[in-house]
Amino acid sequence: MYRQGDILIMPVPEEAVPPSVRELPAAPRDGRGRMVLALGEATGHAHALTAPGSLLRVPDPLAPDHLHLPSGGRLVHEEHAAITLPKGWYRVIRQREYVPGAVRVVAD
Amino acid sequence: MSTGASLTEAPAARPPRAAHYVVGDWQSVAFGTGPADRGRAEAGVAAAYASAGLDAPARYVWVPSPARGAVAAAVLAGHGDRLREAGLGDLVDLARGDLGGTPARASVLTAVRTRPWEAERTAACSEQGPEQWPRVWAETGGLLWNQVQSLVTRVRAAIGALAVQGPGGESGAGSSAQDEAETILRSATLDAVLGQHDAPWLALFETLGRLSGPLDGLAEAARSAGWWWPYEDLVILSERPSDLHRDEPGRLHRGDGPAMAYPDGFSLHAWRGMPIPPDFVDSLTGLTPGRISAEENAELRRVMLEIFGYDRYLAETGARPLHRDETGVLWSIELPGDEPVVMVEVVNSTPEPDGTRRTYYLRVPPGTRTARAGVAWTFGVDEADYHPEKQT
Repeated sequence: MYRQGDILIMPVPEEAVPPSVRELPAAPRDGRGRMVLALGEATGHAHALTAPGSLLRVPDPLAPDHLHLPSGGRLVHEEHAAITLPKGWYRVIRQREYVPGAVRVVAD
Repeated sequence: MSTGASLTEAPAARPPRAAHYVVGDWQSVAFGTGPADRGRAEAGVAAAYASAGLDAPARYVWVPSPARGAVAAAVLAGHGDRLREAGLGDLVDLARGDLGGTPARASVLTAVRTRPWEAERTAACSEQGPEQWPRVWAETGGLLWNQVQSLVTRVRAAIGALAVQGPGGESGAGSSAQDEAETILRSATLDAVLGQHDAPWLALFETLGRLSGPLDGLAEAARSAGWWWPYEDLVILSERPSDLHRDEPGRLHRGDGPAMAYPDGFSLHAWRGMPIPPDFVDSLTGLTPGRISAEENAELRRVMLEIFGYDRYLAETGARPLHRDETGVLWSIELPGDEPVVMVEVVNSTPEPDGTRRTYYLRVPPGTRTARAGVAWTFGVDEADYHPEKQT
């Protein structure tokens, strides 16, 4: 388990990655060829990696993303020290806040 | 085996695209802004009428916002005089201008949308079966539902509120005429096809390969326009928002203007999803802790606290921390008539270039007892499991 500012990166065993996630297309890399795990709202600073691999995300902004690093990588950010990640699968969790009364009723 | 087989078969329907592409596209549709593609929208509406066995509407009446559309629909339903009694005469005049003199005749919502939609839904549901159906929903429409539905709910409420606040936003005394007008306007919104805001269900239908049939026209109109009201002889179509601002979790959010606005000025103001009056943020200059604790509306008070700054509030009220450990400090602000604001104060592990460390506050559930439990909660992890081996 690694933390860089407002994101938490949890190693997960490959077999724990849901098939529906593995079938996702990799999120496109940015103009500098980086996988951007999260972009700062105010500063535009990014938690990013240039390593080989793929970032898999579903449209729900609150659902965790998955990151596959077949040969490991180095997570960098303008304001935080870099973190070296061993090869493997990770769940990428964005920090959230409690909002009173945010429990919503689902579907029709 | 046989290469000739494909020549004798009926041309296959286009294979449905994978759910994630479909959902991504419909998400863009739902939150799309900018002028409607009127040509495409009108063609979509005509196609929807055609698949319901109806002639295309003789007239396409474009309005700048769903609010104007709802008033026009209410006028067509014969409620113009009631709305005028509630002080909405200006809106009624606008609607009469929009509609022109010729009659619209009856609403064809049931034929154009409700019936084909229900038929496809029923067919899809029985085809998928009781186990697969909720799964498909969860991977398609379910991913968009909360985001889109909260927007729709807010737009409906704001249209209803025209009756009590007036188009200029000034709040009048809540008379029974105004209550009645609010009900009229809200029910007019229920008679609309939601266009771009039908995206969650359209994502599900497209994933199941059910858009190239009776729903094709509805989907085309949804890709190109906002809400619309179908009648035998005309259709009222609304533009899309000109502005839409959301925060990272997808909530309406803007501090220096409306979070959602249509070209005629119909707009919603919100701070991290919470509805606020249009001038609220500007009114907060010179804010004091005393004024914050005196605010009786819990949601507005929460906005005030955020804008004032939790750190400043804690310093100025001399608050004491509840708990402190190596992950941070847990604070609580007691508020009369509301649950306390419990927050973790977290320090960035990496120092700034000048050697200082940036601190920030995150609100956590009121029952939180330790700083570690609070930080763990912000990542959805149990307190006992929260042990980052490296933290920067």
